[in-house]
Amino acid sequence: MTRAEKRQMLIDWLDDHYHFGEAESKIGSDDTSFLDKGILDSLGFVALVVYLEDTFKITIDRRSLNRENFNSVNQILAFIEARAGVVR
Amino acid sequence: MSLVGLEFAFFFPLVFLAHWLGPRRAAWQNAVLLLASVVFYATWNLGLLGVLAAATAVSFGAGLALDVLGTPAPEAAPTTPGRRRRKAVLVAAIVAELGLLGVFKYSGFFAESFNALLVGLGLPDALPVLRLVLPLGISYTTLIQVGYLLEVYWGRAPACRDPLAYAIFVGFFPQLIAGPIVRARVMLPQYLVPRRLTSAGAASGAGAFLLGFVMKAFVADWLSPRVVDPVFADPASFGAVALWIALLGYATQLFCDFAGYSLMAIGTGRLFGLELPENFRYPFLSKSLAEFWRRWHISLNTWLFDYLFAPLTTGRSWFRGRAGAGFLVVFLVSGLWHGATWTYVLWGLAHGVALAGHHAYDEWYKRNCRRDRRWVAWRKATPYALASWFVTQVFFVLTLVPFRAPSIGAAADFAKGLLGLGGAEGLGQRFGLQAGACVLFFAGYHLLEVGAGPAWKGRFLALPAPVRGVVYGLVLAFLLVYVPVGASTFIYAQF
Repeated sequence: MTRAEKRQMLIDWLDDHYHFGEAESKIGSDDTSFLDKGILDSLGFVALVVYLEDTFKITIDRRSLNRENFNSVNQILAFIEARAGVVR
Repeated sequence: MSLVGLEFAFFFPLVFLAHWLGPRRAAWQNAVLLLASVVFYATWNLGLLGVLAAATAVSFGAGLALDVLGTPAPEAAPTTPGRRRRKAVLVAAIVAELGLLGVFKYSGFFAESFNALLVGLGLPDALPVLRLVLPLGISYTTLIQVGYLLEVYWGRAPACRDPLAYAIFVGFFPQLIAGPIVRARVMLPQYLVPRRLTSAGAASGAGAFLLGFVMKAFVADWLSPRVVDPVFADPASFGAVALWIALLGYATQLFCDFAGYSLMAIGTGRLFGLELPENFRYPFLSKSLAEFWRRWHISLNTWLFDYLFAPLTTGRSWFRGRAGAGFLVVFLVSGLWHGATWTYVLWGLAHGVALAGHHAYDEWYKRNCRRDRRWVAWRKATPYALASWFVTQVFFVLTLVPFRAPSIGAAADFAKGLLGLGGAEGLGQRFGLQAGACVLFFAGYHLLEVGAGPAWKGRFLALPAPVRGVVYGLVLAFLLVYVPVGASTFIYAQF
């Protein structure tokens, strides 16, 4: 799966669960802080973690289970790519 | 000693001078703060100081042991003897910390409940009921230390190697009574370097302290004996109007007491060059319960979220992805944390069920949004926002009935009375100008956060220091005239 496809899946998930077609416009840049812009609240963060683990077959350990690590599109994609291939 | 007591007015300047006039070294500053904290604690109960010292020594030692045993391996990695030893240290330390809290706070409750069960089955009492004095702030210091241990275990924070800095991280006197529940990653780095007093920091600290003092001494302590306590003491005698006024008065009192205390603690911290975490963010503007709990007692709720809810709902157990079940667990724990009584359990259960219900509703609403975009537009409309705000606030206020009532029976009496099924007594002439001032202050405090409010606040804070000084001076003069010296203790100190 390419980075662009992963990115689209992430945007689709944000649209489906929180922004209903407006995720792309609300985020603007892939470096936009989710915390600062109110893109994802704390419950959304937990749901996102479960989604990322189940969809991309990665493990997010307790050390990384921190909102600051998942605070922008680029951070999330970098995390997924760094963890890809790590067996659960 | 309390932050609003007369003794504190003499105690604080001494500590302040010793802290800033000595060498500008972290060790000196920490030593002064630790000595001050010991004195502060000893004025409540010298004998129980040993409990806090022992608990602090255990968590400090366990942190060092976790560090010595190596860095955490990824959870997917195979189990090794080193990993098992780290886990054993963590479990032992947490059991010790929670065990201490359990003995002091919960042993009586569980023994009583177990005995009641036996009596209900026609058997005699089996357990002795201990009535222990609760060490000051033990509910807060326990969570601080458990949080620290988990952070070190997971590798999110380094172990603290400075016992002085660690002791003050756990027992800094402004946070001893009722938090905020501080985090290692935020506070420990501050204690490891020398602090500097800036004019901006001092002004902001004094401003926060003054605002907190007004909330506590002027609003909360005025409402309590006149509007709240008499009605809650005998709810069956009062009519519905009096009960509703008392309940709204209690919501205001509780907020002003606890948020006021938090602001005083934060302000005191700033006067020593330290930034304690925010504890309240205008909760009565919330339009959902989840939002409310992100704005009320923030340090407790983020603690529960980070160390209980998130691991539970993202782990591999049955709870994975089940936010509703996670809410139930978290709020039952929160209820028990507030106090070892069935009224707090009921309060926690009510919030857990409501949050789970709201989560299910939210998921249903989102499914509709996906199907039809008109649902998105309805949600953004003002009537939806107003209705959400109203339902959220009414629910929170209603759950204060079991929170404040001394027993489930008294809570039931109060609830019946709210529906007009109780007595007929009114509040009579307990109202006056100050009641209006309390309402205005409470409403104004929240309204300053909406619409043009922040701009007005910014304009005031941008005024020249002498002008702000005159305003603060006038507030102080007003307090000296209208507020009796020696205000009561804080509600959250009992937890």
